[in-house]
Amino acid sequence: MSARFRRTSPRGASSRAISVWLIALLVAIVATVQIRSQAEVERSFAGADTASLAFLIDSLHRSNDSLQAETADLTQRQATLQSGGDTAADQVLTDEANRLRAAEGLVPVHGPGVVLVVDATGLQALDLEDALNNLAAGGAEALGVNDRRFVVGVPVDQTSEAVTVGGVAVPTPWTISAIGDANRLAQAADLMTQLMRADRRVRQATYRVEADVVIRAVVTERPFVYGVS
Amino acid sequence: MRIDAMSQRRVVSILVVAMVALATGFLVAGQIKVQLLTPSNQVARYQALVRSVQELEATNADSRQKIAALRSQIDTLEAAAAARSAATQTLQNQVADLRAHAGLTRLHGPGVEVDLADGVAGTDTGGEAGYLVNFKDVQDLVNLLFAHGAEGIAVSGRRVTPLSAFAGSGSQVIIDQGPPVTAPIKVVAVGDRLRMEAALSDPSALPDIRAREVQFQLGITFSGGPDLALPAYDSSLDIRHVGTL
Repeated sequence: MSARFRRTSPRGASSRAISVWLIALLVAIVATVQIRSQAEVERSFAGADTASLAFLIDSLHRSNDSLQAETADLTQRQATLQSGGDTAADQVLTDEANRLRAAEGLVPVHGPGVVLVVDATGLQALDLEDALNNLAAGGAEALGVNDRRFVVGVPVDQTSEAVTVGGVAVPTPWTISAIGDANRLAQAADLMTQLMRADRRVRQATYRVEADVVIRAVVTERPFVYGVS
Repeated sequence: MRIDAMSQRRVVSILVVAMVALATGFLVAGQIKVQLLTPSNQVARYQALVRSVQELEATNADSRQKIAALRSQIDTLEAAAAARSAATQTLQNQVADLRAHAGLTRLHGPGVEVDLADGVAGTDTGGEAGYLVNFKDVQDLVNLLFAHGAEGIAVSGRRVTPLSAFAGSGSQVIIDQGPPVTAPIKVVAVGDRLRMEAALSDPSALPDIRAREVQFQLGITFSGGPDLALPAYDSSLDIRHVGTL
């Protein structure tokens, strides 16, 4: 039996062993790299997917542009106050008051924007809140529904008969007016009306871009009862 | 002759084995390349996106700090001008009131604190991550509180204004121009504490959150407080396209 086994020299045996070790090492390296690579992907994607990150980057870019514009505006206001006398201060304060009244919906406003018309049966207050929020997120700086002004804080409620804005019924069809960057608003309105048309309750959902949308309705000022500045 | 034929067969068989081994090697190498490069490219792309987000968030935080500082300096300058003139003082009082209602100044008073927390991932998610708190939950909660007596609201330290908008993707909640916030989210509202507590206790309010509270153990808890504080809004109140009539 022993004659059937070939005798191998110690040198040949060691070179075979080295070969086996090298192959094992290579396999181990490849396997490790593969496993680590997969694990890294899984760990990285545990937080958010790339689509979410892309959305976030777009949003942050726009936000930062807006913040820089506000910084520039405030810097200019500060310089005016520093350089001018009481007249300059009065002008800065008057401009600020007008700006805030418009932002809070206390005065009639106009400007470029979009007008959406939504005719439907069975839409709820939540649907209107979503539509108004989508337009606000799409760049609306002033909003109105039928003949009611909307800003955040104005309650949108559901009664048995209709949706109310600030306690007043706004029966369909809803004419939603939004003032702001017309291009951005048109994109938001386009997407919104597409989604609305896919809703069985909606008979009609259209929008038009206008160079001068007018919102005459105003919000009644409510003094603080509980809050203290 | 027999030896020649045998050695020829051996050579052929060695060549065949070598060819098969070569082909297998190419196939294995190709497969490894595909398997390794794809994940590593994904990681690199993902890391680049994350770096971009981090840089943009740092710029965002820096800008908001600058805005807060500038508003404070402007307040001081306006107060100095108001001290010299009664007319300016009247104007400054009007602006102070408008700023308070716009959320540009701090506010405190009685109110409620509401905590929203992610639930547990279920098997039947219907394609949506229903166990995660999303921007619509925050939007619904803020609307409910304003409809029931809130005079001012902050979401995870970000003050809500008359022009605020809620957006987001997945579990990210973006409020106006701030960086995203994720659960756990704390909503603090100052105003009519009893009305707000009653609204939050109403089982028919916030139907979507209530349903997911049962299905995914989404967390919503609240408590009232006698004196809660809200920070001032620190971003842009942008109405550059709006003109008054």
